[in-house]
Amino acid sequence: MIIGNTFDIQNLNLFYGAKQALYNIDMKIPKNQVTALIGPSGCGKSTLLRTLNRMNDLVDSCEIKGTIKYDDEEIYAPKYDVISLRTKVGMVFQKPNPFPMSIFDNIAYGPRCQGIKDPKKLQNIVKNALVKAALYDEVEDRLKESAFSLSGGQQQRLCIARTIAMEPEVILMDEPTSALDPIATAKIEELISELKKNYTIVIVTHNMQQAARISDNTAFFLMGKLVEYDKTDILFSSPKQKQTEDYITGRFG
Amino acid sequence: MNHSSRRKKDISIKIVISLVSTFGIFVFCSILFFVFQNGASLLSWKLISSDYYSTNYDTYYDGEVPSQPFTRPNTLSSDAFFSEKWGIAFIDEVDNEGIAYVQIIYVSEDSPLRILPDKNDSTQEVTIDEYQALEKVIFSNRTIFLSSSGAENAARMFDQSDGILDMLTSTPGKGIRGSIITTLILIGLTLVISLPIGVLTAIYLHEFAPKKWIIISYLRRLIEMLTGIPSIVFGLMGAAVFIPFVSSLTGADGGNLISGSLTLAVIVLPVIISSTEEALKTIPDDYRQASLALGATKTQTTFRVVLKIAIPGILSSVLLSIGRIIGESAALIYAVGTAIKDKIILTERSTSLAVHIWSIMAGESPNFELASAISIIILLVVFVLNIVVKLITHRLISVGREKI
Repeated sequence: MIIGNTFDIQNLNLFYGAKQALYNIDMKIPKNQVTALIGPSGCGKSTLLRTLNRMNDLVDSCEIKGTIKYDDEEIYAPKYDVISLRTKVGMVFQKPNPFPMSIFDNIAYGPRCQGIKDPKKLQNIVKNALVKAALYDEVEDRLKESAFSLSGGQQQRLCIARTIAMEPEVILMDEPTSALDPIATAKIEELISELKKNYTIVIVTHNMQQAARISDNTAFFLMGKLVEYDKTDILFSSPKQKQTEDYITGRFG
Repeated sequence: MNHSSRRKKDISIKIVISLVSTFGIFVFCSILFFVFQNGASLLSWKLISSDYYSTNYDTYYDGEVPSQPFTRPNTLSSDAFFSEKWGIAFIDEVDNEGIAYVQIIYVSEDSPLRILPDKNDSTQEVTIDEYQALEKVIFSNRTIFLSSSGAENAARMFDQSDGILDMLTSTPGKGIRGSIITTLILIGLTLVISLPIGVLTAIYLHEFAPKKWIIISYLRRLIEMLTGIPSIVFGLMGAAVFIPFVSSLTGADGGNLISGSLTLAVIVLPVIISSTEEALKTIPDDYRQASLALGATKTQTTFRVVLKIAIPGILSSVLLSIGRIIGESAALIYAVGTAIKDKIILTERSTSLAVHIWSIMAGESPNFELASAISIIILLVVFVLNIVVKLITHRLISVGREKI
């Protein structure tokens, strides 16, 4: 079966000022699969993730060379519409970061920014997003309460629901469980396996077991370089590179 | 250093710190006590609600003497003196400046003295009512009452007399109603002008201006410097720029409330910009990134998320500004003038409470008690506005923050 690609990264080099953070990355990210990016701290995996929805634009000193294509369109082309890219490529952050608003308003925020005002429509969107993020049963009767009244795990699922409400094609996750306890982590992982049926997921994780559990493909980064990129079961069972083997067996990192 | 000497040093430093702070609190409390002790006796609703200027009435009565004596009403307080012959009662009072006078406290409905002809204009009639001061009366039996004679004499002399050749009464004056209204108008107008400009400037400086531009950091330093400039300098600017500007637009003659508000707006603008920017700085980038990642534009992010979170900070800048506006006197002396007014018109001179104090103390006979009483009222206004702003803050952020 031939699986289409969402992102096609070609010869990507990224600089923060004088410091180079990514070296000659070539990668294709397949559709409707979970792709995990692993590697020690500072290896550039989060940086790569952030280039995919152009969040690195916010960093003034960031400079990008090479091409990233999304649906065969160059996303760093001068006239490319960043706003619409970000509605198609959603992002979930490391720390749960709901807005200081009610649960309802948090999820309705994105659609409202797109100009949807009809309350019925918004209610539908919010409900669907919460159902898909497996949070609806827990917050059904307190949608008007502050998002901060939720637990950390619930907040993170709210952030996922907020992203789903935009009906994206891709969800980028930047260590989404690193601030959560094991039970909340398990719930998020379960959710990710559920979500990959409909969405392409790219996840950065420090936790190798997590990568092994939930991902279809895994990319191992070291010092800004893509060392190895393969099917997850192959990468974890028979890594081709010595560095990968050292890392996944816990000899460093 | 061994253990015990370190402990001794620790204790002595603690003692010094507590002594110094006690001294500071003592000074602060004694000033408050002093102001309250001096001003409390003059503090009354009458002071707050009455006009500064009193109206004088000059009347007479040459009609018949009432045939029946009036009965003293039960509601009249025991220290009032009642004239049974004329049905009028007097009481010894102290005016808003602390000077004793005789106040008419009751006039019977049937008393012939209730409505009297105006001596200067016979077509006019004057209603003698409660709270007017009895200044001077020349009775038909040639006895003369002066306000210094006291209420008891007034009642006695009315009882002995069969007519009034000349009676001078006046409405209570020396009140600060006009100055309170001026102060509130100045606060409102100044905030309406400066708040949008200040908040938008802070948003531009912090959210939109490219970080690479060095000029922005210089601009920021300049704005911070402006908060330290003595307000009299701004007052001069108000007199030189805003008064002619407002005059040319509205035809105002000299200082006026609009030019005063513009001057105050310039004074509080740096305060609002600085503290709004400070509030924006404390907002974690997480929120901005989360919003942008949801496909919101920069302005949507700024106005729907960032500004909303910054509201408590912005409102605290409003509080600081209100404090400066109420406390401002030097700049207003130039920009609004020092003429105490009862009827407040935007394009005319008037005084804020602080300038009112200045006017009282700058005169030939400074009235310290009245100044203290007005100070207490300023404290109360600040206190009330503080609570109002706190309540608004609480209301606005209750959805977001109540259950952290």
